[in-house]
Amino acid sequence: MGVQKDRVRFNVGGKIFETTATTLAIAGRDSLFGAMFDENWDLQPNVTSTEHFIDRNPDCFAVLLDLLRTGELYIPSEIPEKLLYREALFYGLLDHVRAARCGPFDGNRLHLERSIMGRAPGDGTAIRAGPDGGCCVAHGSMVHVYDWMLEEHPPISLDYQRVNDAIWIDSESIVISACERLGRDDGGMGLFSASTGELRYKFHVTHDNQVKSYTGGALSFNSDYKLFSSCKGRSNEYGIGVWDQVTGKQIDFFYEPPGWSLGDADKLQWLHGTNCLLVATLFPRKDNCYISLLDFRDKNMVWSWSDVGAPATDERRVRDAIAMEETNSVCVVNEYEDLGFMDLRSSAGIVRWSSRSRLMKGKMPDEPCYPKLALHEGQLFSSMNDSISVFCGPDWVLTSRLRNSHGGSICDFSIGGDRLFALHSEENVFDIWETRSPPIV
Amino acid sequence: MSSGQKKRNFQIEAFKHKVVVDPKYAEKTWKILEHAIHEIYNHNASGLSFEELYRNAYNMVLHKFGEKLYSGLVSTMTFHLQTMSKCIEDAHGGSFLEELNIKWSDHNKALQMIRDILMYMDRTFIPSTHKTPVHELGLNLWRDNVIHSDKIQTRLLNTLLELILRERTGEVINRGLMRNIIKMLMDLGPSVYQEDFEKPFLEVSADFYRAESQEFIECSDCGDYLKKAERRLNEEIERVSQYLDAKSEAKITNVVEKEMIANHMLRLVHMENSGLVKMLLDDKFEDLGRMYNLFRRVPNGLSTIRDVMTSHIRDTGKQLVTDPEKSKNPVEFVESLLEKRDKYDKIISLAFSNDKTFQNALNSSFEYFINLNPRSPEYISLFVDDKLRKGLKGVKEEDIEIILDKVMMLFRYLQEKDVFEKYYKQHLAKRLLSGKTVSDDAERSLIVKLKTECGYQFTSKLEGMFTDMKTSQDTMQGFYAAYGAELGNGPTLVVQVLTTGSWPTQSSITCNLPSEMSALCEKFRSYYLGTHTGRRLSWQTNMGTADLRATFGNGQKYELNVSTYQMCVLMLFNNADCLSYREVEQATEIPPSDLKRCLQSLACVKGKNVLRKEPMSKDIGEDDAFSVNDKFTSKLRKVKIGTVVAQKESEPEKQETRQRVEEDRKPQIEAAIVRIMKSRRVLDHNNIIAEVTKQLQSRFLANPGEIKKRIESLIERDFLERDNADRRLYRYLA
Repeated sequence: MGVQKDRVRFNVGGKIFETTATTLAIAGRDSLFGAMFDENWDLQPNVTSTEHFIDRNPDCFAVLLDLLRTGELYIPSEIPEKLLYREALFYGLLDHVRAARCGPFDGNRLHLERSIMGRAPGDGTAIRAGPDGGCCVAHGSMVHVYDWMLEEHPPISLDYQRVNDAIWIDSESIVISACERLGRDDGGMGLFSASTGELRYKFHVTHDNQVKSYTGGALSFNSDYKLFSSCKGRSNEYGIGVWDQVTGKQIDFFYEPPGWSLGDADKLQWLHGTNCLLVATLFPRKDNCYISLLDFRDKNMVWSWSDVGAPATDERRVRDAIAMEETNSVCVVNEYEDLGFMDLRSSAGIVRWSSRSRLMKGKMPDEPCYPKLALHEGQLFSSMNDSISVFCGPDWVLTSRLRNSHGGSICDFSIGGDRLFALHSEENVFDIWETRSPPIV
Repeated sequence: MSSGQKKRNFQIEAFKHKVVVDPKYAEKTWKILEHAIHEIYNHNASGLSFEELYRNAYNMVLHKFGEKLYSGLVSTMTFHLQTMSKCIEDAHGGSFLEELNIKWSDHNKALQMIRDILMYMDRTFIPSTHKTPVHELGLNLWRDNVIHSDKIQTRLLNTLLELILRERTGEVINRGLMRNIIKMLMDLGPSVYQEDFEKPFLEVSADFYRAESQEFIECSDCGDYLKKAERRLNEEIERVSQYLDAKSEAKITNVVEKEMIANHMLRLVHMENSGLVKMLLDDKFEDLGRMYNLFRRVPNGLSTIRDVMTSHIRDTGKQLVTDPEKSKNPVEFVESLLEKRDKYDKIISLAFSNDKTFQNALNSSFEYFINLNPRSPEYISLFVDDKLRKGLKGVKEEDIEIILDKVMMLFRYLQEKDVFEKYYKQHLAKRLLSGKTVSDDAERSLIVKLKTECGYQFTSKLEGMFTDMKTSQDTMQGFYAAYGAELGNGPTLVVQVLTTGSWPTQSSITCNLPSEMSALCEKFRSYYLGTHTGRRLSWQTNMGTADLRATFGNGQKYELNVSTYQMCVLMLFNNADCLSYREVEQATEIPPSDLKRCLQSLACVKGKNVLRKEPMSKDIGEDDAFSVNDKFTSKLRKVKIGTVVAQKESEPEKQETRQRVEEDRKPQIEAAIVRIMKSRRVLDHNNIIAEVTKQLQSRFLANPGEIKKRIESLIERDFLERDNADRRLYRYLA
């Protein structure tokens, strides 16, 4: 056996550890180890003979060293998670810990990680997953922010007005939209720091060069740094506003055409492939449903569907809609969790329903929550009462069902940062679902 | 509660949960870090302990001294940068840039090490307080204290611009150093690069190229100038790739393009003896290609080239088609058109990268001048005739296609396609009937091309001619199968049955056939009418040919290939030695003009004179007498005696064709008017004219006067009426 040249010896809080420079290199340049062994700082000529003293907790160091060696995170029961996270932050390894915490998201292999009780009064409005595992929960006029460690940060609000929607622009910024109170210039939309809760920017709407107050509705953004919101102004200035995320300035406004609904929209979804925005206004906000696809480049409504004039049976009433670009279709759901599909390439306006309502009818709970849809990497999710269904494959077969025994019906859910968050309506509680790390072999 | 507070109400004091850290602790810790920063800048970092410094910075942030740490960092770094700035200012002449480069790399290294120590602050304190991260802070301080210091900013810019000027004038400069310095400006942010370098660089470059282009254009011809401009452009592109920001490429090339090309465009194009026209004349593909590639970069560049090319093609084309010398020989006329077309095709494909707009310009120019000569349709048809008669012998099938395609291209330019059709029909009829056509495939291929170009209607009659030829063959086979034995050794008859209407109309004056022949013809007539009921046959003796076996005085036997008229004349001499013109005319009843031509070719052509004429002269007189030329000899056993025909149409014939064309147009114009009015019901005069012209333009260019006449004729015949209120409106009467 040759002499191993890259051995490194640490004395952490009195405990000796030996490892290799190769293992430490996993930590990356942007960490204590990366800096320490960079040639700028590689001061001692004979690395193997000396030990490096680090004045920190040795037990946590052992866990983190194991993480660098194996890529897996195993936290012994006697170490509180928070302690480990603090140590990881010191070494600059917090991102590694976050990434190793759970496996890549798979709707069919989720398990309930935790349920968190909140203190906010009233019904939950929305829950939104952040890009790196945190989430924010809108209750009435407040939005509570949690980081991926599920530590609560200062809550945010827009003049304590009722919040309609919230959205993570990036892991540091949240935009919320709120109702306007009559006679005051409040409501609208604001950009907040996720970590400190400070209001960083308030988005304005101008019509004919005049700043107008408005009620911000559903939100969406795209990779071109544009931010979209459905807007209701007092003088019938309804439509979709567009802002530049960088400058914060309003750059466009798509006015609602007569006989249609944009300003009241429940849902906005940006489609990257076609550069269009899906806008859906749904029952019960309006008596009828209006789903349209807007192209802002030439101010054109390129596709639209509405149930105006169709018989308003519960089986045919659309409760949520989501565009699926891979298959050029829009998926809709009724209150019995039947899925329906429409072709985006045709304007025929035919919904192909795949009916299961016979199973669901008569089993409705006392306080039902209407279905919501989400799409994540080819898996379709739909919430219904107290459970979430997962559909897969070209024919959208039901493959899994997530249910937590308490909290009542699910009023909203969201997927992001390798987690699924579900917000319950009866009790103020939300669940965090994760995929377990992959098996050893 | 102490006794001194007795008078006050009961009060709850806030719980002091914060343990106050020794204020000296923060000061002490900062001193350690400050010292480390000094040592790092002084290249003396070997004594420092990374772990200790990292832990100290961590502790300061942890114990809420982040603000102190950050402001300490700013002032310490500023101090060192001001010292560096002094050193750079003091550097002499050429070493200025080098000193700046050295100090820049020192600062970068120090900045990296400081960032390493302060990593925890960078990760936690800075984002939550929205302060500038350490690395960016270091760059900003460098910008403010070094690059923007009074004594450096201008000097740096001037040094950079001077080096570039020196490189433009041929000197070799230290590109590596340039690259580092420019890279530094870019690292400091796009605005620094743009304001402190790019903008002035572009201004200076514009001045430079303005002066240089002025100098060049005075002393070089167009080709050389363009070469120089191209070289300068490539140099600038190379410079950008070597040491400037890639985004500058479009900007600097824009400057060169504007100063060297756009500002001198017209002068270059029109340069005497070397401009565009000269290049076109001399087929200077390389120069033309260079001009195209340079001009395409500037606004209106290509349209300038295109306009000059168009007017040049129009002028030379007009000269060509109106040149009386060229008009003498139709084949040559068309060949020179094709040559011209090939020349410009080649220029466009080799030099103008097959630009569609140039091809369109070429086409519209040809369309313009080809139609200046009213005889173009006739000449093109004659050219085809020539090719299909003899020209294509031994030519490969692909080459035939190429020639035919070229002809089609010229055909497309014609406005009066119906005139072409008229001539083509005449020429085709002659080819088919005289069996002169070389390749049936080539004939048919051209018909197919015409059909795809102009539609079924255009070629249906032409195709009818081919069908007639085929049917006649079958008919003749049937005839001989039925009568072959009965006919024995008498003369053989080959009849081509032509459908009236499909073929060019002929005044059918039948001459008297020799008795042997007329008997045979009668047999055929009865056979044909027996198999086809309800038809009428009339003989077109003016279009036939005959093969005769003749024995002359000295016993010499020859086979003579003659026309039907000639045959009729010669057969008379079987029963007479000498005949006068009048006798011949009486016996044959051939129309005088044809008879004269026929006798001329039998008696006056040297080597073919099977008859002798008294008196001997070139022209046929009404009192001339004819006898068999006993002394006739020929090297060949087969003698072909042509009829003296003018290949090109004579003036009266031309008038006649023209008239026929005009006559044929009338029903077409009327049909178009009726079609349009039937769908529109009411239309004003100008719109009818426009619509009719549009509908007919694939066949011919309708003359508005003629259209008006046709409208009037239709009104007379109650197809249309004028609106009572508005006289310009016409109504369709169903």
